[in-house]
Amino acid sequence: MTAVLTTTAMPPAATAPTALRRALPLLAAPVAFFVAFFAVPMVVVLSSSLAAGGAPSLANYARVLLDQYHWDVLAVTFRIAALTTLAVTLLGYPLAYYLVRVVSSNALRRSCVILLLLPLFTSNIVRSFGWMILLGRNGLVNDTLVGIGLLERPVRFLGTEMGIVIGLVYILLPFIVLAVGNALATVDPTLEEASADLGASPFTTFWTVTFPLCLPGLIAGVIMVFTLAASAYVTPALLSGGKITVFPMLIFQQYSTVFDVHYGGALSITLLVFTLVLVALAGRIGNGGGDRS
Amino acid sequence: MPPALLSIRDLGKHFGGFHALKGVSLEVEHGEFIALLGPSGCGKTTLLRCIAGFLAPDSGDIRIAGDSVTRLPPHRRPLNTVFQNYALFPHMSVLDNVAYGPRRHGVPRAEAAERAAEALQLVGLEALGARHPRELSGGQQQRVALARAVVNRPKLLLLDEPLSALDMKLRKRMQIELKHLQEKLGIAFVFVTHDQEEAMSMADRIVVMNRGLIEQVGSGTAIYATPATRFVAEFIGEANLLPGAPDGAGGLRLAFGTGAVPYHGPHPGADARQNHTGVLRPEHLELLDRPDAPGFLTERGVVEDVINTGGQTLVMVRVGDALLASRRLGMPGDGLNRGAPVVVGFRPEHLHVVTGEAPP
Repeated sequence: MTAVLTTTAMPPAATAPTALRRALPLLAAPVAFFVAFFAVPMVVVLSSSLAAGGAPSLANYARVLLDQYHWDVLAVTFRIAALTTLAVTLLGYPLAYYLVRVVSSNALRRSCVILLLLPLFTSNIVRSFGWMILLGRNGLVNDTLVGIGLLERPVRFLGTEMGIVIGLVYILLPFIVLAVGNALATVDPTLEEASADLGASPFTTFWTVTFPLCLPGLIAGVIMVFTLAASAYVTPALLSGGKITVFPMLIFQQYSTVFDVHYGGALSITLLVFTLVLVALAGRIGNGGGDRS
Repeated sequence: MPPALLSIRDLGKHFGGFHALKGVSLEVEHGEFIALLGPSGCGKTTLLRCIAGFLAPDSGDIRIAGDSVTRLPPHRRPLNTVFQNYALFPHMSVLDNVAYGPRRHGVPRAEAAERAAEALQLVGLEALGARHPRELSGGQQQRVALARAVVNRPKLLLLDEPLSALDMKLRKRMQIELKHLQEKLGIAFVFVTHDQEEAMSMADRIVVMNRGLIEQVGSGTAIYATPATRFVAEFIGEANLLPGAPDGAGGLRLAFGTGAVPYHGPHPGADARQNHTGVLRPEHLELLDRPDAPGFLTERGVVEDVINTGGQTLVMVRVGDALLASRRLGMPGDGLNRGAPVVVGFRPEHLHVVTGEAPP
């Protein structure tokens, strides 16, 4: 009796650990990578931010949050990030739609995607320097606008939020195009046909069927672009001309120039928390939209 | 005489080098159930998509109740479609899916919901309005698609192989339900299918298509008993084909076993240059006791195969060079073994002649 019980009980008891044991070697590498390159640095930054003068303390956070200057820089940072996200969405969505739905030749679509991704193969620094030249007082953009008579005299782009937004939009556009393009490609075209068949104009079909169905992809892209724009350092640093400060520049100064890892850590965690809160809000809005429709 | 509900004149459509429709003309009357039947690639779905407006034909004209709709976009055409994959909106509830049509025609929200509920009742799904399409079974999704397509009470409903994704049993049940619904609502159905049994059991008229052309239009009985072409004869049911040749005196000689059968009955096209084929349905080729059975044309043959299909028996008989099929009700009897000599024969009036050569 006991023998029977043990033999029948054995297989389920044995298979679970076996499956886990087989999965472990596969999981080990990503887990180790995650711990070494993400969790450990985060813990280091967090713990150093919570220490001052060798003792645990919240003094660094008090220094960050009680100084109006930091709030001003945070506002500039998120304003630039929000404007960038808006511009990237307005430019990227139609572009993605065009690539997925309008372009019928696979070869043309592929070359467009390669063209779109090509800038990602060069460094941010090189591309931002490029924009410094283009956006300068006598750069190509000003020359052209003055040349065709749109402007009377050159406009200052460098050292303005607009200049930074232009640089970030250029760098972040591919992300939204890929995210929205992927979502659009999964929307079954017969759903749009069904909508037309039931009497919806192409405009109505877009807003009642196509757009809601690729909203998750759009939100993913928006979150990605917003966080990248809020945490961008190189582009704002090069295009600000020293006249505009964004939060990542403050963090960089503390780590690279002042060597105050405690204060720098507190700045990093502050930016992280605010960004996470905004992203969570965006996610909430996205989910609400999905449920309602 | 009022114009036909749907009138298609000489419709042509190319896809690159592929000629999908080569001048198709068809009229559909109010309340008619039409099946478009043919093998894949015959143009039946292309024809349906041209009627719906998802494809623009290269040539020809489509009229609905006398008005040309050829240049109208799909959302302006007075018809609805049931799609092969149902195409239910995944982000909307079942009720919202069905109410979508009335809403697009300016019906207020509350009234649209009411109409949608009625349409759902029609297909027996009134209890599932709050669900989402992904929470329904295939058969239920099919019904929702149907309710959504008839909620606006169109005069014409296009159905693109709507039952092809269902399993056999459900499919048979839906065929009956669909037919009842069609009769109840009085909507004309244009139903694309590649399943001849489905077409036979449901349609008033069957349009047999092949290679972008209509081969024959007629009732199920007509296209089975008197196929117009060799393609129809072979595509609909099974057929024994007897190669024919003109006998020089206005009649034909049809090869049957070692000899030839003289044929002087009606046949399409007395043109001597045209080839003709005799069509003999397996149920008309009988196994006989003696070669001189009165009223029969007979030949001796050898049983090559006996296939019991449950309730029916198909006996394959080698007669000369040809392998002919004979079908009869009941189980295979004794003595019907492979290699057994038999006499087969048919009554000449069961022979039907079409143009086109028999395959070698």
